[in-house]
Amino acid sequence: MSSPATGTSKSIQDDAAAAKKRKGPGALATAYLVIYNVVMTAGWLVIAVGLVRAYLARGSYHGLYYSIEKPLKFFQTGALLEILHCAAGIVPSSVVLTGFQVMSRVFLTWAVTHSVREVQSEDSVLLFVSAWTITEIIRYSYYTFSLLNHLPYLIKWARYTLFIVLYPMGVSGELLTIYAALPYVQKTGLYSVTLPNKYNFSFDYYTFLILAMVSYIPLFPQLYFHMLRQRKKVLGHAEDTTKLE
Amino acid sequence: VEPYSTIADIKSLVHKSSAKALRDGDVLQNLPVGTSATMYFRDLGPQLGWTMVFLAEYMGPLFTYLMFYLRLPYIYPHPHAFTSSPLTVVTLACACHTCHYVKRLVETIFVHRFSHGTMPLRTILRNCVYYWGFSAWLAYYINHPLYSPPSYGDLQVNYAFALFVLCEVGNFSIHLTLNSLRGEGTKCRKIPSPTKNPFTWLFFFVSCPNYTYEVGAWLGFSIMTQCLPVAVYTVLGFIQMSIWARGKHRAYTREFKAYPGLRMAIIPLVL
Repeated sequence: MSSPATGTSKSIQDDAAAAKKRKGPGALATAYLVIYNVVMTAGWLVIAVGLVRAYLARGSYHGLYYSIEKPLKFFQTGALLEILHCAAGIVPSSVVLTGFQVMSRVFLTWAVTHSVREVQSEDSVLLFVSAWTITEIIRYSYYTFSLLNHLPYLIKWARYTLFIVLYPMGVSGELLTIYAALPYVQKTGLYSVTLPNKYNFSFDYYTFLILAMVSYIPLFPQLYFHMLRQRKKVLGHAEDTTKLE
Repeated sequence: VEPYSTIADIKSLVHKSSAKALRDGDVLQNLPVGTSATMYFRDLGPQLGWTMVFLAEYMGPLFTYLMFYLRLPYIYPHPHAFTSSPLTVVTLACACHTCHYVKRLVETIFVHRFSHGTMPLRTILRNCVYYWGFSAWLAYYINHPLYSPPSYGDLQVNYAFALFVLCEVGNFSIHLTLNSLRGEGTKCRKIPSPTKNPFTWLFFFVSCPNYTYEVGAWLGFSIMTQCLPVAVYTVLGFIQMSIWARGKHRAYTREFKAYPGLRMAIIPLVL
């Protein structure tokens, strides 16, 4: 007759606590999240439509950023709410991870594309904007359907497959845009502080941008392979369509 | 193993084992298990003893700051290599920073008695990057040829230095007091209390005056150098120490029935 040592009773308690957490948000929170995700899906659809219409009207890929500048800024910045969702516990993701992802998007939207006017007409901007647009439409509709417990396999498949192309596409667009911004930042000393000054502090935005670009090297593979592993887990067992997210 | 063996005996048979649920002093016979027990071990990965951890974390800042103070080549523009600043506050700051970390090293070796055995290697690496990186960053500015002395001159420097020294002494006093609490036996639990030493009277108001004094010392250093990176470091340290202090405070109030109600975690009457 064997029985587990006292060491495992703690893990039983942990399981109970984890199961309770996994039960998810309450009814009010769920309703709010459904509305949030529907609005975001709609917003990014507006951006997608805006891009297509502008392309058809102009007949070229050049300078399409200007036609969707405002909704892009509005809806991408709105994603900051997702950090609060994690902090409030109504979404089971890590605050740090979500914060990092959202902040990098917001950084690119405001601190690079908006701030350095000269890069706005670059084709690399279109590259990452279209990658973001497709990704976000799929991602927010995925969340919407999940919350309503009616997730079509197509959406799940799309979310865990299209990233294979969209993610590198977005990263390339982002890196090329930052790279394009570098000479202008260096020339104008944008967002930079030099010595001497009263608070003995300095900041070189140009170097910061280069470091940001370098940080993609360790980060991108980690996130990419994480998504690939998630894909295997989620799509690998097609029968287990219960809430894995 | 025999029923009267202790957990520590079993652990010595297995090189890496988890100390979380069971303690070294537990005797197998006294555990609530049947005639055969299933024990779960978890490999925590590469670990380092606490003493080594702190030595690694504190040696870095000690030496990197000196590298900047001495203005070793390739840090600052070429003509400034091996020069020294004419400002007294720069030398004073170096003395303060150095003494702070020497004190920490002395405490690590001679004063502190650590409870858990080890810390995982990854955490140590991360902590070292934090300590070493920040001290390099703030040393860079304080010892820079273009460093600007505080706006209110010697008055500001002297008062801030006084605050720094008082807090360092205070912090050391608290460490000595906490150390004497652990005196007899390993698991003896007593409420930390004020002693005859006036610096320990902060115990009337906070559970973790060592953290309070630490924040105070870095606040003094920030004001003394009037350097924004130092202020940033102080704020980050304050946030982390507040989290630790609140955790400790919660543990104390849960463990001791007659825990003083006036006491807060780290800031008297406030936090």
